[in-house]
Amino acid sequence: MLPYIGRRILNLVPVLLGISLLAFSLSALAPGDPALRILRLQSDAPPTRAAVQKLRAELGLDAPFPLRYLRWLQDAARGDLGESYRTGEPVLRALALRFPATAQVAVASTLLALVISLPLGVFSAVRRNAPVDHASRIWALVGASMPSFWLAYVLILMFSVGLRLLPVAGHGTLAHLVLPSVTLALGGAATLTRLTRSSLLETLGEDFVRTARAKGLGSFSVIARHALQPGLIPVVTALGIRLGHLLAGAAIVETVFAWPGIGKFVVDSIYDRDYPVIQGFVLFTGIVFVLVNLLVDLLYVWIDPRIRIEAGRG
Amino acid sequence: MTDKLRGMLAAVVVAALAATVPAGAQTPAAKQELVVAIGADTYRLDRVRGDVALSRVGGPAKTIFETLVRLGRTYQLEPGLATSWEFVGRNTWRLTLRRGVRFHNGQPFTAAAVKWTFDRIAQAGGGTAAIGEGSAKIVDDFTVDITPATPNVRLIEQIVHPTYGIVAPNTFPGPATEAASRPTGTGPFRLVEYVRGNRLVVEGNPDYWGAKPRLQRITFRFMPDANTRVLGLRSREVDFAVAVPREIANELERTPGMRVVRSPVGQYEAVYIAIHGREPYVLGREKAVRQALSLAIDKAAVVRNVWQNNAIVSQTMIPPSMLGEHTRIVKGTPYDPAAARRILDEAGWRSGPDGIREKGGRRLSLVMVVGFPNAEIHRPFPELAQGMLRQVGIEVRILITPDVSSYETQLGKGEGDLWVEAGNQNDANPCFLPDLLFYSKPGARQENEYGLLFGPGPVFDRLIEVCRTTADPERLREVAAQAMALLIDQEAIVVPIAGTFNVLGLSERVQGFLPHPSGLNQGWEAVWISN
Repeated sequence: MLPYIGRRILNLVPVLLGISLLAFSLSALAPGDPALRILRLQSDAPPTRAAVQKLRAELGLDAPFPLRYLRWLQDAARGDLGESYRTGEPVLRALALRFPATAQVAVASTLLALVISLPLGVFSAVRRNAPVDHASRIWALVGASMPSFWLAYVLILMFSVGLRLLPVAGHGTLAHLVLPSVTLALGGAATLTRLTRSSLLETLGEDFVRTARAKGLGSFSVIARHALQPGLIPVVTALGIRLGHLLAGAAIVETVFAWPGIGKFVVDSIYDRDYPVIQGFVLFTGIVFVLVNLLVDLLYVWIDPRIRIEAGRG
Repeated sequence: MTDKLRGMLAAVVVAALAATVPAGAQTPAAKQELVVAIGADTYRLDRVRGDVALSRVGGPAKTIFETLVRLGRTYQLEPGLATSWEFVGRNTWRLTLRRGVRFHNGQPFTAAAVKWTFDRIAQAGGGTAAIGEGSAKIVDDFTVDITPATPNVRLIEQIVHPTYGIVAPNTFPGPATEAASRPTGTGPFRLVEYVRGNRLVVEGNPDYWGAKPRLQRITFRFMPDANTRVLGLRSREVDFAVAVPREIANELERTPGMRVVRSPVGQYEAVYIAIHGREPYVLGREKAVRQALSLAIDKAAVVRNVWQNNAIVSQTMIPPSMLGEHTRIVKGTPYDPAAARRILDEAGWRSGPDGIREKGGRRLSLVMVVGFPNAEIHRPFPELAQGMLRQVGIEVRILITPDVSSYETQLGKGEGDLWVEAGNQNDANPCFLPDLLFYSKPGARQENEYGLLFGPGPVFDRLIEVCRTTADPERLREVAAQAMALLIDQEAIVVPIAGTFNVLGLSERVQGFLPHPSGLNQGWEAVWISN
């Protein structure tokens, strides 16, 4: 198992190299000049061409693209992701300061999505074509179709403006976490409910489930002990991808709820062409995705014994 | 007095009346604490000054820092940390400083603080006031001479901008993350707490030299989303919401317990027409095309349908209150599509098979670039204008830039014919906008993309040079109006669309709030909470 994990972590290197090069290229191709933005933000007047050129030189932006990339790579290898053009903070520190808020809402919403979708999906599969199944499918369709910003406003109107139970926006208490988490969870729960249902339906038709039933095991026992575990594999995959996305920030929900996470910060950095932050974020997101996927793979091993054997041999 | 001027004055009076304390015996609440929902936390570290970061936030900066000269609500100059000022020749202003003022850290305010601050402004580029190294010279503890790096008699009108706020010497030595926790000024409020992305809290400064603030504490909560700010107001979580979207303002006004306050005009929406574009963006070079464009846009319809009446038709771009009597020099253009058609006919532009005009095999098709300061603020003006211009045979292709950086790049390349922008006036210099955007003398210190694309040339530049050098305020207003008349009436390079208001939502408990047309210069000293 350990060599397998080691190999996966080593795989990070080419993955990160690839995505950093891609992000660097996209930044270079995108219209906009960071030097111009910085000067516009610092002064009450549009900067002169000469001032822009001077700052470009100071920031090293006048160097050829490969040289800039190599310099950045060299610094990144030493753990220095540079300083934000906008705030002057070290990029690593800026991301680290904002990540806990993002992680809070990502984990809370993922758990909530799981709590909603798992029982609903199972129940829907077991009672196939019953009214509860139809209701669950309709919910899944509606839930997946709702835009998160719209849902966010509806929830604020209901629970903050109408009932005055929860704060409209902000960060700091458990109450502040509720609405952003529910907003993100409902959309995810809808997809996961459908996935759980279809995956479980497939597993329920497998030979080993029929064997378990033939042995005289009760319905609950068959589902809980035999069918559910292998049926969860696609759900775990989707959950991993979702968690990875959320850990990379949810800009729209962060904006609506004034949640001081990484998503809004990075979107603002993109608007202001804050290249060091964009590069650092891409690197960070790459690491998060690879680690979450690794965790998902390890979960497969735990869920399905056949995968355990293959991993052991591999 | 013209109908136009009367209308403008009426709007100012209505806005002022709406903002003042309502009649009736209101009693102050025991707890004088105000929660204000403002936009995103735009804290940024200026590499040299550090404090500039906060000034971008608008409200909070104005509570903590003060400028030497203040900007009044009709753009008049008022004494601030300087009690008087005079032009002593040789491009130099002498300012007499207020005595008995202390910074929030107890340090006395003297000429040394002015020099310290201005030296840092110089290192950060000097701004529109052209502050250079050594521009500020200490005459004695309470007298300072300021000599801009280039001839600039407009200094006093310019240093009302919050970026010239005076900072306690030798503060902000630390790294970026520590800097915002220690902004130290002389303002009516002092910083209590700054939580990144969440809130900035100030409390009344008991040692303030001026009228003591009535509020004990103001919590500025950062809420980037305008709808959330309004929902916060409706849920009573905040008492005050800035920049209420115009689509919601009228509905909010009807909500019990809420008020909507509109500032006098301090902002504008306008279309600039490129007159120095390169192929294929050269149609704006033809004056007849520019005049037709100007006549074919129904500004009143834009004010009604796009701005939902949170604006007035403006023909000046500069806030009318700044130009005073001289506003009448700028005639503006009426909505007259028939005249637009006639001008185009006379210029040889004939209707093609699809109704779009053609001349010499070339279609009258223009690219309208939208994105400053963002595209959202203009919606749906581009589509409305597109329809209006089509009526006279002008085709408009709309290019929405995804963000301001893309817009600036587009502008730098000059790839567009019509440029839709919204801006504001944050200082007392009536020539600020024409000078900033349209002065184009080759080799000039402030040579930028705007002048290169839109600059009308030597006649206009000479007017701006008068602006920069006249010490007579009346002459200044007259010349500013003449410069705008040249841009709008004679050359039709600028089509002013609307003079727009700051729209603010507040709980009925909030009293004494007087909206400033320049949001950056909003003061909070007179505000109080009623029971």
